[in-house]
Amino acid sequence: MNETDNTITTTRSGRDLSDAPDMIVCKGVSKWYGDFQALEKVSATIKEREVVVVLGPSGSGKSTWIRCINRLEHHQEGDIIVDGVELTNDMRNIEKIRSEVGMVFQQFNLFPHLSVRDNVTLAPIWVRKKPKAEAIEQANELLELVGIPEQADKFPGQLSGGQQQRVAIARALAMEPRIMLFDEPTSALDPEMIKEVLDVMKDLARSGMTMMVVTHEMGFAKEVADRIIFMEEGQIVEVGTPEHFFTNPTEDRTKLFLSQIL
Amino acid sequence: MTEIQSSAGVPVITAPPQEPHLPPKEWLKKNLFSNVGNTFITIVTSVVILSLANGLLGFAFGSERQWNAVAVNSRLYMSFAYPEAQYNRIWFSFATLLVLAGLSMAIWRGGTRVPFARLAKSSFSFGVGLAIMVLLAPLSTSGTIKWGIAAGVLLLAGFIFKRSANENEDEGDGRSLSSLTLLVGTFASIISTLWFIPYGRHSFVGDRTPQVMSEPGTVAFSTQLPWTIMLFVLVGAYYLGVVLRDRLPERRTRGVLMGLWLLSPFFLIYLVLRDPSFTMNHVLYTDIPLVLGFLVVGGLLLYALTKPSLGEIGRIAAVLILLVGFGSFLTPMRMIVRIFLIALGFFSLAAPTFSGDKSTRRRYSSIWSGFIIIAGWLITAVNTPSTVEVPGDLFFGGATLTLIVAFFTVVLSYPLGVLLALARTSNMPIFRLLATTFIEFIRGVPLITILIFFSVMLPLFLPEGMHLPEITSVTIGYALFSAAYVAENIRGGLQSVTRGQHEAAEAVGMSTSQKTVFIILPQALRMSIPPMVGHTIGTFKETSLLYIIGLFDLLYVGRSVIPNQTAFIGSTRENLLFVSVLYWVISYSMSKASQRIEKRVGLGER
Repeated sequence: MNETDNTITTTRSGRDLSDAPDMIVCKGVSKWYGDFQALEKVSATIKEREVVVVLGPSGSGKSTWIRCINRLEHHQEGDIIVDGVELTNDMRNIEKIRSEVGMVFQQFNLFPHLSVRDNVTLAPIWVRKKPKAEAIEQANELLELVGIPEQADKFPGQLSGGQQQRVAIARALAMEPRIMLFDEPTSALDPEMIKEVLDVMKDLARSGMTMMVVTHEMGFAKEVADRIIFMEEGQIVEVGTPEHFFTNPTEDRTKLFLSQIL
Repeated sequence: MTEIQSSAGVPVITAPPQEPHLPPKEWLKKNLFSNVGNTFITIVTSVVILSLANGLLGFAFGSERQWNAVAVNSRLYMSFAYPEAQYNRIWFSFATLLVLAGLSMAIWRGGTRVPFARLAKSSFSFGVGLAIMVLLAPLSTSGTIKWGIAAGVLLLAGFIFKRSANENEDEGDGRSLSSLTLLVGTFASIISTLWFIPYGRHSFVGDRTPQVMSEPGTVAFSTQLPWTIMLFVLVGAYYLGVVLRDRLPERRTRGVLMGLWLLSPFFLIYLVLRDPSFTMNHVLYTDIPLVLGFLVVGGLLLYALTKPSLGEIGRIAAVLILLVGFGSFLTPMRMIVRIFLIALGFFSLAAPTFSGDKSTRRRYSSIWSGFIIIAGWLITAVNTPSTVEVPGDLFFGGATLTLIVAFFTVVLSYPLGVLLALARTSNMPIFRLLATTFIEFIRGVPLITILIFFSVMLPLFLPEGMHLPEITSVTIGYALFSAAYVAENIRGGLQSVTRGQHEAAEAVGMSTSQKTVFIILPQALRMSIPPMVGHTIGTFKETSLLYIIGLFDLLYVGRSVIPNQTAFIGSTRENLLFVSVLYWVISYSMSKASQRIEKRVGLGER
C-alpha cells in the first residue's frame, strides 16, 4: 500500500473491516480527455461490505472515476482491480466485472421499450442465463424490496422519477452484484422523491452491500457512509470517517467546500 | 368521457368550452368573405378551380374518349397474360390474402368508430361535388340522369345520417359506425351492383384477328360470382378471427399471422400461380432427406451450442462450419447444401448470444427447424419448372408485377438495410468502410442505371449455366438500391438512441450483440417508422421505372401495350389517367394504413 491509500480499519458503524477482503483496488489511476486531465493518480482500496461516499465539486472527476471502475470510461494509466480481476482491454474480463458490479445512473437509463418487469429480468435471463420463471420470481422480490411491486407491468415512461430510479436499482440488483456503484442517483429527482430513493439505498447499505456512491446528499453521507472520499480537480484530497470529515477536516480545500455547501 | 367526477375533494376537470358551431351562412362570411381582399381572393380562386374542373371533366366525359380501352383491357391491367383457363388460381390467391386480411383486422382489433356526424359531412360534400360535376360535365341526357341520381342518393344518405346523429346528440357522443362495417358495406353495395346494373360486358378476343367485344347487359358471370365469394370470404375470415382472438394467446397469434403475411406471397407465387410440376422421385429421395438431415443434425448441434457453459469451443465450431460452407463453393455440390451450411454457420455464430436454459435452447433449435423447412421448400419450389404456359415467357405483368416487385424489394431491402446500418455504425473499421462505400456508391447512382445494369449486364456476370429471370435480377438490383436508403433511415434511428441506453446495457454485462438485439435495435426501428413509411410508398411508386427497361408493369401496359391495340390506337391519355388513379388509390391507402400503425406502436410514448 502506498501513502495515498488511506484505508481505515474501524468505521462509523463500529464494523471492523480490517480483515475484509479488498473489493476495489485503484492504484495510480489517471485519465485524460485530450489535454485535460480528469483523474490524476487516484489510489484507493474499498473493502467488502464497505460504503464509500465520494464528494467533491462538479467537474472534480468523481463520476469519471466511478465510471472507470466498470469500464464505461477507459483509464489510461494505473491499475484497477475489481474483486481480484484486473480491468484490461480483454472483453471477457470486462464482461465478468460488469456482471459483478451493478451501476445506477443519474438519468436512470431504463429501457423505455420494455416493461418494468422485463427491464429487471432481461439481463439475468440473457447474461446470467437464468431460467425465465426464476428470473421473474426474483424480479418480483426485488420490486417488492424497492417498494413498487404493483408497477411491474407498466412502462418506464409511466412512472415518476423516483419510481424509475428504484426500478433502476432493482435492475442492477437482479444481476446479484457484489458491488453497487451509484453515480449521482438523486440529482435528477424532485426533492420529494429523493427520500424514497435514499431509503432504498440505506436498506441496501445495511444489508452489507459494498457500495460506492457519488452524491451531493450530505445527510446520506453522514448517516450511511463508512468512509468519505473528497475529490477535487481529479485528485483525492481527503479521506476519512464522516465524523472526521464533517467536524474537523484537515485540508483547506475540504473546509472551503464544506463552507460552501453546509 | 368529458368529465372526471370526484368525491374526495379533488378538483373536477371540466371539458374545455366548445368552439361555437356557426351556421353555414356565417361560416362562409367569417372564413371566405371577411373583407374586400378576402372576397376577391375567394372569387378568383373559385373561378380558377371551376374552370380547371370544367376542363378535366370535359376531357374525361368527352364523347371521343375511349374508356372502352380500360374496361376491355382490365384483365391485361391486373394479371397481364395469365391464361384465362387458370384464373381459379388467381382467385384462390386473392382469397388467401383476403383471409389473412380478415383475420388480421379481427386479431389486431382494427377499425375505429366513425361518428354519424362525420359520415353525414362526407356524404354531403361528395354529393355536392357530384352535383357540381353533373352541371359542369358535357354529359348526355341519360348520363346526366344517372349521375344526378348518384348525387341525389349521396345527399339523401347525408341527410339520413345527420338526422340519426342529431337524435342522440344530448348524450355526448352521438351514434357511430365501425369503420370496418363501413368498408364492408361499401364493398358489398358495389359488388351487389354487379348483379343488376348494366355496366356492359367487355372482352377481348385475341385469336388470329383481335376483336373487341362490348355488349350491353350486366358484367359476365365469371366476374360476378368470384367477387361475391370474395366478399363472403373476407367477412367469414373476420368473424373467424373474432372467435379465435379470445381463445388463443394474443402475442403468439399475432406473430404467426405476421409470419403468414410474409410467407404468403412466396407460397402463392411459387406453389399456386406457377403450378410447379414436382418430380416426386426427386422430392422424396433428395429434397426431403436433405431437409430432414439438416433439421435433425443442425437442431441438435444448435441445442448443444447454446449451452451457456460452452465458452470458446462454440465460436470455433461456428467459424469452422462457416468455412466449410464457403469452401463448398469450390467443389461441385448442390446449391441447397451450400446455402444450408452457410445458414447453419450463421446460426451457430449467433448461438452464444441466445444461449440460456433448456426452454430457450429448444426454442432456438425450433427456429432453425422452421427456417430449414421453409427455406428447403422454397428453394425446391423455385427450382421446379412451371406448368402454366404464358405467351412471351412473361409470367406476371400489370398491377401484379408492380405489387410483386414492390413487395419483394421491401422484404429484401429491410433486413439488408438493418445490417448495413449496423455495419456503418459498428466499431470495426472494415465493416464501416464496406458499408459506407456501398451506401455512398448506390446513393450516387440513378435508380434507372441500376435497373438497366441488373437487367442487361448481370446475366453476363452470372456463372455459366445459371439463369435468372429478368424480374428476379431487376428485383435484386432494386432491393440493393432501396437497402442503401433504408440503411440511412435506420442509421438515423440508431443515432437517436441515447448514450445512456448503451451504457445501461453495458453496465448489466450485456455483450455487444445482445445490446444491439435487445436494446438498441428495437428502439431504433421504432424511431425510423415514419421515414420508412415514406420510403415504402416511394418504392411502390418507383416500380414504374420498370417501364423503361421493358417489363410489362402497370405503366407499360397503360402507356404502350393498350394504345397499340388496333381497336384502341391513340387511347394513351385515358389509360394514363386510369393508371395514375390506380397508383394514387394504392399509395393513399398505404399512407392511411401507416398513420394508423404509427399511432399503434405509440411513437412518442417513451
